[in-house]
Amino acid sequence: MLKLVLSSVRHNLGRYLATLIAIMTGVGFYTAVGVVSDGVISSLEGNVDAEYGNVDVAVVPDVTATADETAADPEALKVPQPTVDQLLTLPGVEGGAGILTGSVAFLGSDGKPFATSAVGRLWITDQDLNPLSLADGDAPASTGEIAVDRGTAGDHGLDVGDDLTLLTLAGKEKVTLVGITEFGDSAALDGDGTVSVTEADAFDWLNSGQAEYESYYLRGSEDPDDLVASAGEVLPDGFEVQTGDEFRADQRETTGSFAQGLKTALRAFAVLALLVGGFVIFNTFSVIVAQRLRELAVLAAIGATPRQLKRSLRLEGLVLGLVGSLLGVVAGYVLTLLLDGVLKVTGGSLPGGLGFGLSNVLGGIALGTIITVLSVMIPARRAARTEPIEAMRDAAVESAELGRTRGIVCVVLVALGVAAMLLTDELAVVGIGAVAIIAAVLIGAPYLAKGGARLFRPLLERFGMEGRLAVDNSVRSPKRTATTANALLIGVFLVTLVAVAGASVRDFAVGEVSDLQSADYVVVSQGGSLDDAFVSDLATIEDVNDVVAFRREPVTIDGTATVASAGDVSELAKVANIAVESGALADLASSGDGSGTIAVIDTGEGATPDIGGTVTVTDSRGKDVELRVVAVLEPTQDTAQTGSIIDTTTFESLVGDVAPTLAFVDVASGAQGKTKDDIQNLAAVRPDITAQEGNAVGKLIGTVFDFLIKAVTGLLLMSVVIAIIGIINTMSLSILERRRELGLLRIIGMTDNRVRRMVTLESVLISLLGTLGGLVLGLVVSLLLLVSINRDSQAAVTPSIPWIELVVILVLGVLIGVLAALLPARRSTKLEVLDAISAT
Amino acid sequence: MTAAADRSVRTAAARAVEARKTYGVGDAAVHALAGVTVDFPEHEFTAIMGPSGSGKSTLMQCVAGLDRLTSGAALIGETDISKLNKTQLTLLRRDRLGFIFQQYNLIPSLTARENILLPLTLAGTKADQSWFDEIVRTVGLQDRLGNLPSQLSGGQQQRVAVARALVPKPDIVFADEPTGALDSRTGIEILTFMRRAVDESGQTIVMVTHDPHAASYADRVLFLADGQIVDSMEAPTADKVLDRMKQFEG
Ligand SMILES: Nc1ncnc2c1ncn2[C@@H]1O[C@H](COP(=O)(O)OP(=O)(O)OP(=O)(O)O)[C@@H](O)[C@H]1O
Ligand SMILES: [Mg+2]
Repeated sequence: MLKLVLSSVRHNLGRYLATLIAIMTGVGFYTAVGVVSDGVISSLEGNVDAEYGNVDVAVVPDVTATADETAADPEALKVPQPTVDQLLTLPGVEGGAGILTGSVAFLGSDGKPFATSAVGRLWITDQDLNPLSLADGDAPASTGEIAVDRGTAGDHGLDVGDDLTLLTLAGKEKVTLVGITEFGDSAALDGDGTVSVTEADAFDWLNSGQAEYESYYLRGSEDPDDLVASAGEVLPDGFEVQTGDEFRADQRETTGSFAQGLKTALRAFAVLALLVGGFVIFNTFSVIVAQRLRELAVLAAIGATPRQLKRSLRLEGLVLGLVGSLLGVVAGYVLTLLLDGVLKVTGGSLPGGLGFGLSNVLGGIALGTIITVLSVMIPARRAARTEPIEAMRDAAVESAELGRTRGIVCVVLVALGVAAMLLTDELAVVGIGAVAIIAAVLIGAPYLAKGGARLFRPLLERFGMEGRLAVDNSVRSPKRTATTANALLIGVFLVTLVAVAGASVRDFAVGEVSDLQSADYVVVSQGGSLDDAFVSDLATIEDVNDVVAFRREPVTIDGTATVASAGDVSELAKVANIAVESGALADLASSGDGSGTIAVIDTGEGATPDIGGTVTVTDSRGKDVELRVVAVLEPTQDTAQTGSIIDTTTFESLVGDVAPTLAFVDVASGAQGKTKDDIQNLAAVRPDITAQEGNAVGKLIGTVFDFLIKAVTGLLLMSVVIAIIGIINTMSLSILERRRELGLLRIIGMTDNRVRRMVTLESVLISLLGTLGGLVLGLVVSLLLLVSINRDSQAAVTPSIPWIELVVILVLGVLIGVLAALLPARRSTKLEVLDAISAT
Repeated sequence: MTAAADRSVRTAAARAVEARKTYGVGDAAVHALAGVTVDFPEHEFTAIMGPSGSGKSTLMQCVAGLDRLTSGAALIGETDISKLNKTQLTLLRRDRLGFIFQQYNLIPSLTARENILLPLTLAGTKADQSWFDEIVRTVGLQDRLGNLPSQLSGGQQQRVAVARALVPKPDIVFADEPTGALDSRTGIEILTFMRRAVDESGQTIVMVTHDPHAASYADRVLFLADGQIVDSMEAPTADKVLDRMKQFEG
């Protein structure tokens, strides 16, 4: 039996080619995605071990408290030096390392800055905890000494002993390069370069002179759990203590989870591509069974049982699936190698290198084979039903009749699906409803093929006889036409779904955010400050009406980490959207009796303090004050920047008379281009300062959604490519089948051009059916989805239909048809007419 | 005046001159046609007979422009078809020739009427309605014009094919064993009809056949053996043809 199967596969290799390509493409994509994302994951996780391998206890700001608080990522709390001193005296602690980073850049002798995205880092003196090692020279030991990473040194031709100018938050500093660092095997810890400085310089240059650390790591001989417990006792609110293992797991999760998620998503697309490939495989085998009916009937006549016939077909599927998947895995690796090669040429490399993991190989082979064998099931059943009598009949034609059950199943599925999407609140049921509608369309596709062909008939008949025959051919076996179109339908459906639903949600989200007013520009200094000179420079820019600078500090309020600001409240209210829910901002400054006042934000979570009540505010050095609440503010984009607002006197007594770090800028309405450039240019001079256009969040959300929609659409195009292979395949097979008919047409006077046009028209018809079906299905399902989302979340997402993109998709559909027909059309007239009609 | 003398004054609808067709090369070469010179006069029904493999189909196909000669010339009217390119040949076939084959004659998705009109449709011309009606009536297809080929019997399908070959009034109709797949009664109907087309409308027909009875409907029978014309017979009858055939085999 196996021998028969193998010889059959070999004999029909040409016909199986498309099947093989479909399996290969899907499995190859799957494998490549696996290899690349494995590399990314392992490189990120590997870095965690290299960077934090010897950490026994880690003191970090309580991220969960700050992350949810405000949208605009306020500066996190920092670990103050007194706390660190206490930590280091704990029993069992053998060493510690504080992390402090800030943006720095070098100023070249030509006056142009370079390495502008480099990270300044406090040089850790504890050998075991320092992730960096020296490749050359010495560690920075006294003030003004720095070390740079191997990559930056190489890129900019820096050598030990060079005198350089470092741009820091504190200004220009004259420095001497004393050492070159490296991070494990790689050149740098930070992607854009690392500049290591001494602890004292780090405080001065990266942290406005404050002796604080972003996080602090301890190394000790004691049981880590005991260390954690004793460390917890000396820490102020807003910090978290973790064992080294917990900390590394956390780091791995934050760095690795992105890659894991990416891998899952990419894998999902790869599987989708494979499933579309399943349609191609199913179709190929259906056609092959139809064409081989005579051969199968002869086998049946000489005594092959239905089971044997079925088994032989399944075996063919298995052989093909295995071969295709193996080739696919190889193709996948070749693809990653190529990618790596291309990256190497351009100076980069795939993160984590290429891992040839067994799980990728086995997974790809298993998936490809299973999908192939499953796709062969139905054609195999048809083969088993072959009657010996069919050997006597003329060329077997697939019946054009469609069973009654098919129609009933479709109608029921559509009814159930629409009902589920419109009537229930359960998200899972809504999802199942959507799937039911999709299934109904796929099952009912032969009706669509028939109806669609009828619809297009008048149009195609304008092309004359060849148009007419093209329509007839597609209706002759509606099931085959339908399966071919289905592969494309799925791809187009998904693209449409992403385009319509994605665009709608994007517009909704952007609209929601845009409703919130905000200042025209927000200028922020990370780690530095906005000095008077800078503010006045800003104010003199043409079309800038007003600049209101204020001070912001990380604090905890009643134990919750957040930020608080102080400034000229009445000026602030003029340029920014500071909306008062209750109370009055004017009461802020008025208390002269020593008891401070505060305006807090209604975050919508927990109990909002009453006007006249008190809250406890703790600064980063652990100093407490009780403040009276005089106003409650609405959460807006601008209050997200300011945080709670404290009266100036109290603020200064708490943190000292520090310089402002934020400013809201009001510009004349309509100020564009030049004003924007001027503000950005001014900000660019200082490494610590960024100027964001107001409502940047809204724009950011829009950009992120746009990017996601584009990326996902790109990935989905993979399935469209496989669908094209399917159309090519079906057309080629049906041309083989209709060889004599085509020969006859040519004998009685149809020119080769017209024969080719006929084939092209048929192909275009199929792809139009798939494209239109996918478009309509995508529109309907996404509209239904939006209706249920709206009902569920009481939101009002209005559907935004990206008409232009939909028209582009439709045009592409026609192009795909023309493209897919190129090969089959040529083949249709390649044979000499006599060979075409000679009987074999 | 003998038929032969008569023929010489008639113009030839098609001709082959020193036609040679060789398949393969060297020792393996097969001379399907080994220098055939023949005229197919206008308004005449010619039958070609001969043993299997003698080159009958090859001769017909080369004269009809379906295949190319290795050497020599084939002419339709005054047109040397060896000088035509593929598209010109196709158009020549469409406009001036008709074909009837043993099998695989009709386009399955077109009705009988559409099949009959197919060559005219392809040429973008209209049928002469009275001529169409007359042919349909003679082949007895009036009631079946709306049917698809799959709904017709083999004989009916062949009648559709004959009607299709005749409706455009081609200069010459080529038929390769048109009755080969039919029972004798249907075969006779088809042959009678072809005969009438020659007698009443002056159609020119060239027919390849194995059947002496079919050959007896022709005006003249050419005998082919080993790629050469070895004999011809005027006013054939089934018996005379059968006798001649036996001579070849003997
Ligand atoms: N494509 C080909 N390649 C090689 N030889 C061929 C080819 N076609 C025909 N022949 C040979 O040419 C010779 C004539 O073939 P042809 O088909 O004309 O015979 P025929 O008289 O029509 O026979 P039949 O009565 O069996 O149809 C035969 O010997 C045949 O084997
Ligand atoms: Mg023959």
